[in-house]
Amino acid sequence: MLIRSPKEWELPESAATPESVYHHRRTFLKTLGFGLAGAALTPRSLFATTAGFPTRVNPNYRDPALKPTAYEHITSYNNFYEFGTDKADPKPNANQGWKTEPWTVEIGGLVRNPTKIDANELVPKMGGAEQRVYRFRCVEAWSMVIPWDGFPLAKLIQFADPKPEAKFVTFTTFNDPKNVPGQRRPILEWPYFEGLRLDEAMNDLSFIATGIYGRPIPNQNGAPLRLVVPWKYGFKGCKSIVKIDLVAKQPRNTWQVMAPDEYGFYANVNPQVDHPRWSQASERVIGEGGALGRRQRTLMFNGYEKQVAALYQGMNLAKLY
Amino acid sequence: MPLLENLLRRKPVIWTLILLPGLWPVWPLFVTKDSSALTDPLKLILHHLGFVACLLLATVLTFTPLRVLWPKSGLVQALNRHRRLVGVSAFAYAAIHYSVHLLYEGGVEFLPITLKADLSKPFLVTGMSALTILLGLSITSLHAAVRWLGGKRWKQLHRLAYVAAALVAYHQAAARKVFPMQVIYIFGPLVVLEILRIYNPRGPNAQRSTLNSQRPSSLT
Repeated sequence: MLIRSPKEWELPESAATPESVYHHRRTFLKTLGFGLAGAALTPRSLFATTAGFPTRVNPNYRDPALKPTAYEHITSYNNFYEFGTDKADPKPNANQGWKTEPWTVEIGGLVRNPTKIDANELVPKMGGAEQRVYRFRCVEAWSMVIPWDGFPLAKLIQFADPKPEAKFVTFTTFNDPKNVPGQRRPILEWPYFEGLRLDEAMNDLSFIATGIYGRPIPNQNGAPLRLVVPWKYGFKGCKSIVKIDLVAKQPRNTWQVMAPDEYGFYANVNPQVDHPRWSQASERVIGEGGALGRRQRTLMFNGYEKQVAALYQGMNLAKLY
Repeated sequence: MPLLENLLRRKPVIWTLILLPGLWPVWPLFVTKDSSALTDPLKLILHHLGFVACLLLATVLTFTPLRVLWPKSGLVQALNRHRRLVGVSAFAYAAIHYSVHLLYEGGVEFLPITLKADLSKPFLVTGMSALTILLGLSITSLHAAVRWLGGKRWKQLHRLAYVAAALVAYHQAAARKVFPMQVIYIFGPLVVLEILRIYNPRGPNAQRSTLNSQRPSSLT
């Protein structure tokens, strides 16, 4: 018979805080100003945009039915091909001397008020940062729930003051093959670029994130500012933006250039329109369901049908995927 | 070399070599507790089982061209003793990979969606077809099946393993958004060996060793 004497550091299961209590504690701390603590305790050099923290919670985007994915998962399971093609690559590779501060963003194209501005100066100009909890759905059929901090994209566009002929908005990521290993390999067309129709960009859901969970956004998630369009597949969310342009014609986007039969300009989350290689009807819910994980049905427009369906009235979404 | 040859002749050694790579996910999941691997552990296991199945299938297919090219090598002879074991283990990994796939796709609740995709998407159809081929070849790897089919027919049937390899190479490449280089590392050596086998520089000897390799492996 094997008699096992417990080590002094071993705790009985009963001593562990139940998960629900643990999560409530986090929510409680967050409302108390967890963001402030996080921003103050973290050295500035680690993160880029520190302006705007602590952020204020926007109650309109805090659906109690949405349970945020753990910070650890959000910041260690990333698609950021500039830093490697495996999900585990960006976290170590984006934090080895790649600098996201200072960071200048250029807003131009068909606007009356073209600007070149430091990211930390931009945030106060946008009225500071707020927190919104959004669903996040990757084209690879997995999903998270992410508390983003940042400001509505519409504010930025209003600030830039588009000319009447502007119909689309483009977003361009940095180009730095010297310091960023992935950009030395022709995996994709560098720098990464994305686009939205102007009315999509002006929708209240479209968001520029500068933080996650009340803390400045880590490099691997697209520091210092990235696009968040929650009703579209994650690849639309251009990371580490250096340039935003208003243009007259529908722009291309990186993944569409790469495989036009698989990735379109719109990339709206749609459970009825499959990827040619896999079904989009359901998704893995990251961080849920223990070792086996959990799968749930994917919602039309990722659950934001009320807010965005009108944008696509009369369009054939199977063709304009 | 004789030591390696001696080791490779032994079944327990081959069993160990087959089973060990299957245990690889234990490392990030339980030892290093790699946060990225723990984000969706089943996905790691799913991809890894598929990877090992590809590796074993490509490996077992190199045995014949190796024997044609270096018929006198003790090492090659040692490897060729284990054709059936390695081949069937490729099927075993593929079968567990597919079971994990069903689980990963949501189990019973999502079965209709999963099967519909399995039978309609080229990425998944190729995997399913390869699995079916490997199932057939595993069943007919029994001595009784060899006798029942006869050596020639058995040999022709088992050439389907090459079809399975081609299907699996496509399946593996299509699993990622960008082309994964591992497909080259896994199937590249096999392609090179097959090309060498076709342009075998050993002249008439090549003919004889090819004839030798016509014999079903289970009888050797």
